Amino acid sequence: MKKLIFITLLFFFHSLLFGQNTTEKYSISGYVKDGESGENLIGVTIYVNELETGTTTNVYGFYSITIPAGEYTLNYSYVGFDDFEKKIILNQDLTETIELGVGAEELVEIVVSADSNKEEINSTQMSVDRITTKQAKVLPSLFGEVDIIKTLQLKPGVSTSGEGSAGIVVRGGGPDQNLIILDEAIVYNPNHLFGFFSTFNSDAVKDVQLYKGGFPAEYGGRLSSVIDVRLKEGNRKKFAGSGGIGLISSRLTLEGPIVKDRGSFMVSGRRTYADLITRAVNKSRADDPDFDKIPDYFFYDLNTKLNFDINDKNRIFASGYFGRDKFGFNDDDFNFDFDWGNTTTTARWNHIYNPKLFSNATFTFSDYVFKIRSKFDEFSFEVGSGIRDYNTKIDYYWAPNNKHNIKFGVNFAHHNFDVGRFQATVASEEDPLFESDVSFQAVDMNAYIAEEFEVNDKLKLNGGIRFSSFLNDGQFYAGIEPRAAMKYSLKDNISLKASYTRMYQYIHLVASSGASLPTDVWYPSNKTVKPQLSDQVAAGVSIGIGEQFLLTNEVYYKWQKRQIDFRDGADLFINPNLDEEFVFGKGTSYGNEIYLEKKKGKITGWVGYTLSWSWRKFPDISGGQRFHPRYDRRHDISVVLMYEINRKFTITGSWVYNTGNAYSLPSSRAILFETQGIDPQVITIYPARNSERQPAYHRLDVGLVYKFFPRFGEADLTLSAYNAYDRRNPYFIYFDIENNEETGLPESIKAKQVSLFPILPSLTFNFKF
Amino acid sequence: MPKFNIYFILFLFSLTACNLEKDIEVELPPHDPKLVVECYLEVGKPYRLVLSETIPFDVIPTTLPTVDGAIVVISYNGTNDTLSNGLFIDPVAEKFFNYGSSTIVPEDFVNTYTLSITDSTGRNVTASTKILPIVPIDSVVYNFNDTDTLASIQTWFTDLPAQDNFYRHTLHKGSLDNNPDQVFALDDRVFDGDDVVFGTGFDYVIGDTIITAIYHIDLAYHDFLETVEAASDSNGNPFAQPSFILSNIENGIGIFTGLTFDRDTIYITQ
Repeated sequence: MKKLIFITLLFFFHSLLFGQNTTEKYSISGYVKDGESGENLIGVTIYVNELETGTTTNVYGFYSITIPAGEYTLNYSYVGFDDFEKKIILNQDLTETIELGVGAEELVEIVVSADSNKEEINSTQMSVDRITTKQAKVLPSLFGEVDIIKTLQLKPGVSTSGEGSAGIVVRGGGPDQNLIILDEAIVYNPNHLFGFFSTFNSDAVKDVQLYKGGFPAEYGGRLSSVIDVRLKEGNRKKFAGSGGIGLISSRLTLEGPIVKDRGSFMVSGRRTYADLITRAVNKSRADDPDFDKIPDYFFYDLNTKLNFDINDKNRIFASGYFGRDKFGFNDDDFNFDFDWGNTTTTARWNHIYNPKLFSNATFTFSDYVFKIRSKFDEFSFEVGSGIRDYNTKIDYYWAPNNKHNIKFGVNFAHHNFDVGRFQATVASEEDPLFESDVSFQAVDMNAYIAEEFEVNDKLKLNGGIRFSSFLNDGQFYAGIEPRAAMKYSLKDNISLKASYTRMYQYIHLVASSGASLPTDVWYPSNKTVKPQLSDQVAAGVSIGIGEQFLLTNEVYYKWQKRQIDFRDGADLFINPNLDEEFVFGKGTSYGNEIYLEKKKGKITGWVGYTLSWSWRKFPDISGGQRFHPRYDRRHDISVVLMYEINRKFTITGSWVYNTGNAYSLPSSRAILFETQGIDPQVITIYPARNSERQPAYHRLDVGLVYKFFPRFGEADLTLSAYNAYDRRNPYFIYFDIENNEETGLPESIKAKQVSLFPILPSLTFNFKF
Repeated sequence: MPKFNIYFILFLFSLTACNLEKDIEVELPPHDPKLVVECYLEVGKPYRLVLSETIPFDVIPTTLPTVDGAIVVISYNGTNDTLSNGLFIDPVAEKFFNYGSSTIVPEDFVNTYTLSITDSTGRNVTASTKILPIVPIDSVVYNFNDTDTLASIQTWFTDLPAQDNFYRHTLHKGSLDNNPDQVFALDDRVFDGDDVVFGTGFDYVIGDTIITAIYHIDLAYHDFLETVEAASDSNGNPFAQPSFILSNIENGIGIFTGLTFDRDTIYITQ
């Protein structure tokens, strides 16, 4: 490992030692913005035509490139916007803040420039998927609720953790191994409605990037993926609004300038309203003794963001998220209230030291909490859990010359894990019957440095290292996480890529099921529970086919160490000694992902196919035999098409097919005769974990978007059908004993498959002004 | 937690009103017949044991799958006691056994009992256990609700301090002939060394006879009961990971354990 650190440091200092030459060099830097709203744009390609080199805007919309003095043509290109070219005479440092626009003839939601593949082919970054709100909004969705996270599930290597779920599984990793950040604050439970919708309101989201491998050094803390969600900043040009009325919820977003072109605000909220209907039904049937009350359920969330340019070199941002789910059932005998939700806050300061050096200082606050209050006769129970983080970090972006881009930074975070609060009381007693409150205070500190080095016009290297550490309950862990990536261009339109990453995960989700439930508890590493660790290698090829198509193929292999599961019969709920329920093992995941995307024209979309295997092996599970996790998928196909017929009509469709979930089936039964006063019972015996397969899953969703242009602005009606051919996909399978009609005695045992969603049409009205 | 899951499943089904269930054919994993043992050593009572075997999951048995003709030996304190094969009935417990002997289980909480069974086909299973001391019930009380007609029952006992203890609680109404109103196993992690109460809802009326019991059980029996319940609960629960039965019967399944309990009976009066 010492040798590795030495090589890495040598790599960094190379830019300082050899990056200079005698030719005078100057920098061009600035921001690239959406011309209509003034929003900063992430990932815009800035290409110097004469030098055949370039850069991209960072996550804050800033770019910087240092090149020899001369006359150049800069080409700015970005998905959905017109190319913009600018001729410059470079004889001093220049600041060029550019606003990109959309041409009148470009009616397709996803418009790309002729060079739209350039970044994908030339970048060392691989294993990354990016979704914009525009893409997510036209695709058909469950109940018409646009969900940008679910759209990611249509990319190769990414699958859902369950029917209709917003939980994702990336390259065989667990649903808890995804780092999900919203404006740099961690979101610990990114789900509403027991996982059926993500916490991200698409109206408030600007951009989502999913890293499946080749993780940049600034990210760490989870083994399998990073989902980086950025909120809109708000329109800096004019006051604007957007919203929608759907089957499940309504949304409203307002945005506008604080000071024109210097600052803006954005406020976005949504709320579901099924509870209004169920309450009315409950009230109308209150006198019916045979009527069972319907539980109340609703969720809401609110996103806010402010930003302001103090001057050309200093910008400040503040953003926040607050969301809650509320589930309740109350009658005379039994009361049950269940609330859960996230809160995040981010405050950022962007500072430009000089055209080559940019910094971002951030403070974030993250909080997730769930509370259950239940009352049954004279007994009351309260159960709760949560996690709260305070995090400060600073990141630097340094572009010393056009061959080198360097990032480095450090962060410090404090975590408060409230693993389990439980109190049981009886009305006749003053003191609680049982009481438990287990909490931990932990800190982590991380530092990283990474450099992208363009060796020549064919070869580009990216090397980095991340030092991570975690302290909890007197136990200190530290890890060195090397990151390496390379790109070699065979031709202008073909490049080979490879990457290696190591990731540590110091906190773990105690989840007893494949579904994401709000009662899942985050648990820190300690003396017993060591950090999880993964090493992933990936290699691939990216091919630009003409101006319209991008074809990529990637193979990957991931080793997962110190994986966590739970012993058989584990008691995970209200357990102050969760450590004792854990068992530890290892895993491997490997596969191949093919992806073909059509980016331009009236018909756009993509086809993805993943062939993969995922294994786990625990000495204490299934007799030590290796087994597949529930979400192992041998084949996974997704086809996504968007066809803009004309200015008013767009047809969309997506079809997915995947191998059925791995699951356990019983082989045998036995009779337990029991002790005095207890009747005999039948025991079900499962010989191995997840040794069988559910039937394959496939589903077609179709949508029709009708746009119209009222006086106030723009509106559309989106009609979609989820599961258009009404496939009965398996949600779960159970066994039922059927009795003889005459004798009433058990006659046979039948397997029953239960599906969750039939064909579900929905209509959503969206507007913009 | 199970209650929460039930509400969630009900909620999911309320989302759609369509018939989303159908019969399917599944190929079950191969059945490997294993010996099933149940033997509870109760102080002052003779050795009794039920030996049966597993059956294929999809077969409805027409007779009890008991196994006869096996050599069943319980060893204690240097003495091997071979149980005879036959029909043994405990008229109090209303249970039958197919192996037994006249040896009475002594009050010994120190020494280990071992079990060895070899059946006629050569299958061999072994197990060992100790008998735990009784944890007495401190009191059984009942409280009426506001109407003064419905009562809830509280069974109080004191957890043994400074050690991992496991308990099973049963509560019957009327007699032990019926299945209990309450039965569950738990450990003492939440209430180590404290006074502990098991309570009921306001489900009982004046004149009811309540039989409540606290069993002091060992870890193996606790884990066995928990995993049996988890395996049973996983049928039809999309959120449960099917549990494998944790058993202290080596090469088989079942339980070989001591059975110590304190039982109290109360009559609800005005």
